[in-house]
Amino acid sequence: MAAGEPISIQVRDVHKEFRRFEALHGITLDFDPGLMHGIIGPEGSGKTTLLRILLGLMRPAQGRILYFEGGRPASFDVLRPHIAYMPQAQSLYPDLSIEEHLAFFRDLYGIQPRAYAEKRAELLSVSRLAPFVDRPAGQLSGGMYKKLGLMCALLRSPRVIVLDEPTTGVDPISRRELWELLYRLLDQGILVLVTTAYLDEAERCSKVHLIESGSVIASGEPRALLDDQKARSFDELFLRRAAGSASE
Amino acid sequence: MIDPTLRGFIKKEFIQALRDRRMRFILLMMPLVQMTIFGVAISTEVKNIRLAAFFNAKDNVLRDVYERAIMGGWFIPAKAAGRIAQHPFELIRANKADAVLVAPPKGFTHELGRKTAPLQLLIDATNVVQAESVEAYLKAILADTVASDLKVAASPPPPIRFDVRVLFNPSLDTATFMVPGVMVMIMVITTFLLVVMGVVREKEQGTFEMLIAAPVSRTELIFGKTLPYVVIGMADLPLMLPVSVLAFHVPLRGSFLYLFFATLVFVSTIVAAGLLTSTFCANQQQASMGSFLFMFPAIMFAGIIFPIENMPPSVQVFAAIDPLSHYLILLRDIMLKGSTIGLLDRHVLALVGIAAFSITASFARFRTTLR
Repeated sequence: MAAGEPISIQVRDVHKEFRRFEALHGITLDFDPGLMHGIIGPEGSGKTTLLRILLGLMRPAQGRILYFEGGRPASFDVLRPHIAYMPQAQSLYPDLSIEEHLAFFRDLYGIQPRAYAEKRAELLSVSRLAPFVDRPAGQLSGGMYKKLGLMCALLRSPRVIVLDEPTTGVDPISRRELWELLYRLLDQGILVLVTTAYLDEAERCSKVHLIESGSVIASGEPRALLDDQKARSFDELFLRRAAGSASE
Repeated sequence: MIDPTLRGFIKKEFIQALRDRRMRFILLMMPLVQMTIFGVAISTEVKNIRLAAFFNAKDNVLRDVYERAIMGGWFIPAKAAGRIAQHPFELIRANKADAVLVAPPKGFTHELGRKTAPLQLLIDATNVVQAESVEAYLKAILADTVASDLKVAASPPPPIRFDVRVLFNPSLDTATFMVPGVMVMIMVITTFLLVVMGVVREKEQGTFEMLIAAPVSRTELIFGKTLPYVVIGMADLPLMLPVSVLAFHVPLRGSFLYLFFATLVFVSTIVAAGLLTSTFCANQQQASMGSFLFMFPAIMFAGIIFPIENMPPSVQVFAAIDPLSHYLILLRDIMLKGSTIGLLDRHVLALVGIAAFSITASFARFRTTLR
């Protein structure tokens, strides 16, 4: 169980520009705790930019991000230690082993030895990476590599975890394992925020937010959203939109 | 008790720097190998100058000059045969001789009896440094020989008599002068490159994004990325010092404590400069380019190869802001003169100033947000 009260995040009219190119125009979204939020959209739609703004890694050109702890407004700086992030690009040290990664992040987060021992054992058993603790990250398979990234993020028992395309470049079996790992987090009341370009994964989320060219085009529970848009799958929905914008 | 975040960083940097076998070799063996090779090779001394002399059999003084030159050890006889051997100019053009002495038609000895004695000296000046040395050597030998051969009672004694005493390096051994310079160069190359590459690698791997998203302060990040390299840079000292003292007989007249202190200040300054450079570089290519842009002028203006005193005053400014020049002076002072230095030594203060500037600028430039 993640200690502390649940955290929720509200995005209000966020804009971001990169040298005349507008990456986000007026995003407004609510992320409630205990849910798995999927930010779905094609490549270049602004998913990563939105995450980076949420995490304080970038400043929005306009708009605000509001953070709440147990329903009361809280500052990002106070909540920051409880928000974990797993970037999309390879973000581990290829020359450090799984064990060395865990030890480095233990020191980085200042985790006490006993808490660390428990957490380490739990994460290694859930991820099934225990036999590979001495293997350098550079020699792990795509799925194992992502799992290690997730373990490093989970080591400090965050209340919010933000994952940028965790399943990209991962084989189908490892993809399923990763999703199972994420579901376990929901039981602990954690807010999970995940982006994906795999549209079939959208249906695994409790709530999806469809983003296209820097704008939210739809938001809601996956089934209801599809019914609403009269589409059988998210693939079909995006293909239809792509065809529509091409014919305009 | 050291901050756990910082401790984690230091541990991680050591694992990464020392894990790779090639990296260990570069860090530990290269200083030794380079010290030995450079210490032997880099020398401003000119030796094995090929000398030829044209004079007739009765020209005793010039023969003495030639023989003294060869006996002195700096010169060797030029070897040539056939037509080339007959023409002083051809000898030099065909690269058979570096210097040629040509006696006047009636002989140098004969002319000495008159008011002024002409003597032609041809020197190959394609290498200016060598040419200047050759001229100086030969003039000295000439003056000596003439004085002793003629017992010049006729000419009045020169008004000034120099009593030259060469201090601290009485044999004018170039190793004594060059080895500290080589130490400085090796230290700056390994330390500077390691720091710049260490920071830039994080940016390139994307690990930097993760670090700044983690609850790590900018101070922890900066010191975590730099302190390990100060330690690694300091390891060069016990590696290189024995080589310079035992193999090159460079004296260590001052206290090791002073040497250690000066080196610590210098290595910290280099690490700070490396950190500042890394803030301008996004990838390894830019990092190598940036390192080169720093190190090349830093070595040039250090006074290792070219004396700072010979530079125009406007350029001496660069030497003043070059950490290498200050450390080189400290190193030579401590090792050769046995000087004691204080915390407030001019060169120590200069190094501290450069380090403080680099650290401050790095803090200002070190982004904890992405663009």
